[in-house]
Amino acid sequence: MESGGNFISATSHYGKVIIWWLGFALSIFLLIEEHYILSTTLLIGLAFLPLFFHIERSQITTRGIVMLAILAAVASVSRIPFAFIPNVQPATFIIIISGVVFGKESGFIVGALTALVSNIFLGQGPWTPWQMLAWGVIGFCSGRLKNTWFIKKRFGRIVFGLLSGFFFGWIMNLWVVLTVLQELQLAQILFIYGSSFPFDLAHGLANIFFLLLFSKRMVKTLNRFKKKYGILYREN
Amino acid sequence: MNHGFRTLHPVVLLTYYLATTIAITINRHPFFLFFTVLVLILFNWVCDRGKTMKWWWRFFVLFGLLLFLLNPLLNHRGQHVLIYLFNQPITMEAVVQGAINALTFVALLLLFITFPRIIDSSKFLFLFSGVFPKWGLLAMLSVRFVPLFRIRLEEIIAVQRARGISLTTGTVRARLKNGFALVHSLLTWSLEDGIQTADSMAARGYGLKQRSRYNPYRLHPSDIFAIGTIAGLLALTIFGSWLGDGVLTMTPVIEPVYLTGREWTFFIIHTLLVGFPVIVEIKEEAQWFYWKQKN
Amino acid sequence: MVLLETKKLTFTYPDEPEPVLKELSFTVNQGELIVIAGPTGSGKSTLLRLFKQEIAPFGKMTGDILYEGTPLYSLDKEKAAREIGMIFQDPENQLVMDRVLNELAFGMENLGMDTVTMRKKVAELAHYFGIHSLLNKPIHELSGGQKQLVNLASILLMEPKILLLDEPTAQLDPVAAKDFLHMLDLINKEFGITIIMVEHHLDEILPICDRLLVLSDGKISFVGNPREVIESIWQREKEPFSHYLPQIPRLFLHFHGHETTPQVPLTVREGRDWIKKISVRPKEHEGEDTNKQMGPSLVEARNIVFQYEKEGERIFDHLDLVIREGEFLAIVGANGTGKSTLLKLLAGLETPQKGKILYRGRKLAQPQPQEIYYMPQNPKLLFTQDTVREALENNLRKEQNTGIVQRLQELIDFFRIKELLDRHPFDLSGGELQTVALLIVLSSEAKLLLLDEPTKGMDPVIKEKVGNLLKHLQKNGVTIIIATHDIEFAAAYSSRCAMLFHGAVTASGETSSFFKGNTFYTTAINRVTRNSHVPEVTTLEEAKRLWKVVETL
Repeated sequence: MESGGNFISATSHYGKVIIWWLGFALSIFLLIEEHYILSTTLLIGLAFLPLFFHIERSQITTRGIVMLAILAAVASVSRIPFAFIPNVQPATFIIIISGVVFGKESGFIVGALTALVSNIFLGQGPWTPWQMLAWGVIGFCSGRLKNTWFIKKRFGRIVFGLLSGFFFGWIMNLWVVLTVLQELQLAQILFIYGSSFPFDLAHGLANIFFLLLFSKRMVKTLNRFKKKYGILYREN
Repeated sequence: MNHGFRTLHPVVLLTYYLATTIAITINRHPFFLFFTVLVLILFNWVCDRGKTMKWWWRFFVLFGLLLFLLNPLLNHRGQHVLIYLFNQPITMEAVVQGAINALTFVALLLLFITFPRIIDSSKFLFLFSGVFPKWGLLAMLSVRFVPLFRIRLEEIIAVQRARGISLTTGTVRARLKNGFALVHSLLTWSLEDGIQTADSMAARGYGLKQRSRYNPYRLHPSDIFAIGTIAGLLALTIFGSWLGDGVLTMTPVIEPVYLTGREWTFFIIHTLLVGFPVIVEIKEEAQWFYWKQKN
Repeated sequence: MVLLETKKLTFTYPDEPEPVLKELSFTVNQGELIVIAGPTGSGKSTLLRLFKQEIAPFGKMTGDILYEGTPLYSLDKEKAAREIGMIFQDPENQLVMDRVLNELAFGMENLGMDTVTMRKKVAELAHYFGIHSLLNKPIHELSGGQKQLVNLASILLMEPKILLLDEPTAQLDPVAAKDFLHMLDLINKEFGITIIMVEHHLDEILPICDRLLVLSDGKISFVGNPREVIESIWQREKEPFSHYLPQIPRLFLHFHGHETTPQVPLTVREGRDWIKKISVRPKEHEGEDTNKQMGPSLVEARNIVFQYEKEGERIFDHLDLVIREGEFLAIVGANGTGKSTLLKLLAGLETPQKGKILYRGRKLAQPQPQEIYYMPQNPKLLFTQDTVREALENNLRKEQNTGIVQRLQELIDFFRIKELLDRHPFDLSGGELQTVALLIVLSSEAKLLLLDEPTKGMDPVIKEKVGNLLKHLQKNGVTIIIATHDIEFAAAYSSRCAMLFHGAVTASGETSSFFKGNTFYTTAINRVTRNSHVPEVTTLEEAKRLWKVVETL
């Protein structure tokens, strides 16, 4: 620790692969033992690892790093003017547009980073990886789908906004369900999902609202800065 | 405060949170969890005299009760029927299960509301960037920006209020539109200024070679001892849970909630693990007490 | 020994027909402190950035830049990053870490130093700078001056041989700016670090600099010892650069320039030495209408008690202030005395705990966007639109008045900002942005104008433009209140000054008499002339009006 080195660069590629598979085996074992939450948290971590390593290895330019950090920080504070309606905030919208303009890697980074950084200020906990997953996946998908019907057509955007609102809420519910319920029973799961429905709906509708009204302006703004900042990733 | 548990090496602190989270999720026993909650309340009190807890307690009670009631109302399995409610049996098993659910949830929340007091943002980022340097830097930058942007956004809100842009009056649609215009303004302003930030990083040689990392924390023998203790307690707890001592058996017959024999050993181990910070604090208090008496 | 040298350096930005730098040749010696001045757009910043290859602008460069005799751009990258340090104008934007200690370590980490080395160097430097108590603080809790010191410290830890500074004090208040320049002077003298600094506020820096280099249109107009440069500027081309000269030399040159001159005074002490040698007879008063009829009270603060938080500091403790229609009031006072807060209260943005704000005799409960125009320190905050045109038109749509449309068109022509209309507001320079922001007032029906630090970071030429614009507004019946640190500006343009201290207005009076009573808080020219045998004045304009120099000894 004293040297400040990190084990990522210290561990060889095969080492990483072996550690990954060991982790995977452990999570399966935990699943069989019915420790759902430990198992799934581990699985999320394992799913993250290759993506995290990919980004660690990628050559993001200095300006690229600053830009992604700014997008995540703005998304984190963007709820302030919207305190008057619960669960309405443009963070998800900012993440979606980041993905659309800068691509799937950047979308994932902005999403995951927004969750991580928001929680540094709001409260870190075992739910953090789940939120990182939820927002990261939303950013990744919007980047992946940027040239498809989903993002280009008005109707597609409505669907995407609504889905991402529910997706985020459902992932968080999943954390509650897996952590709290020992026996997974449909009635209780439905109850938990049902009780969060109004909030998830508000989130989804807010996404639709922002996507329909502001995506054009937002895309234009981000494109302007994309040009100004130059390339975000250098080729290896 | 500059003494006690929080002055241990961040790696020790993180190990404690991980170990305790695991212990709480695997020991599904009302007796274990009830005392876990008590110990964690004590931990909170030691941490900040219960200030954060006071802020949260309504939420805890509400969700705790909800989860406690949810199970017996929806789950009717079990042999010991207590009463019938709306023609549905309320079973002993379901009530106990509900209690376990509620206690697990409250225990986790109680544990993690202490997190920012014990592992503040710089320790957290130190730990994070140790494993993922690039992510660490991204998070560090973002964390540096958040207070700045919050101030900027509040300034924008105030100035635009003077220009007649209101967030408190008008239709919801108008308020949402105004709100977004302000966020958009913050984004544009910050991205504009961000180029200077990037320049300042480049000017200081960022990206020239593999970065080193300034490490303000030193690993003392007491830290290593603490990690060993926590890891040992966790291993024993996992073993106990695997033996079934930390889990209340429901089927085929619910076992009594009160502990018997070997279960006490694992209960003590579990409670020692959860209460590790409290023990450190008490030890430190005692040392201060004697130090003062001697001098 | 020559450290840095440019040979026929020419630089052209892409898509620009004319080069910004034209065949510049000059040398910088080891240990020198050089100031580069010149009007906006003269290529100062471009030149500075070309010395720092990591952030050098894109474009076509011919000629050579030599560092220690070898071409700068073929220098080892790590050596270049370490030995050439750069500090920018805005202290906030340069900081990348959330704690001071991490910020200090940032540059060293980039160079791959180990923790033990870093710890030792930080310890040394914290001792030298006296910033021990700041090390564990979050960055956002520091003041602007402290932030800029941290930036400086972070660079010094990389052990540079040469420091490049781009208007490093433009965003600081005068006290912090003085501290910062003092620190630069120390670093230069005690460690022999070479300093090249772009600056247009020359009052404080000239006495400590070795050479002054004036750029205009991409060429070197003047270079040499500051006194000589000042004299040749005055002799050769009075108009374009005289705005940049500090007050004391200007006073001297105005009354003395035509004769064989002794050395140009740069400091108050030198100024007073010179004053002793002249004899002045007061001119006949030309009946300046300083005692203009004041209108009725427009806005009034009565018995204001205000603090932001219950546990927080009390900002105002029974403050009273009356502002009459048609006044141009400058609120002055040290940092943290609540100048900005007072403006916010007068704008209706904050509500006092006790007392009330009256606007036209009625209690002000919320902002009055039609009547009161509030302009924050940073005019960027005013713009939420994507182009200047939208920002201007947005205002019009509310007004629905053809007369105003007409007036706006005239103003656009008058200020020659037509080419700015389709740009993004944030792409404008500080002065341009300020001008556009003021245009919005001119085209609106606002009766009260509240400006927070309107001259911060402004080039002297633009400052004069803004000053005249405000005067023009005042003549048209707009009441103006500014909060400012800029004593020279307040003295030159405002009609009344009020000083805040300890939660209340401690002194207030007509501008011309206000400063004459002060010892420390007054203009440089006043410090030169007070308690001397010549009539006391606060500004050059006043001296021009009142003085007639009869003989020089």
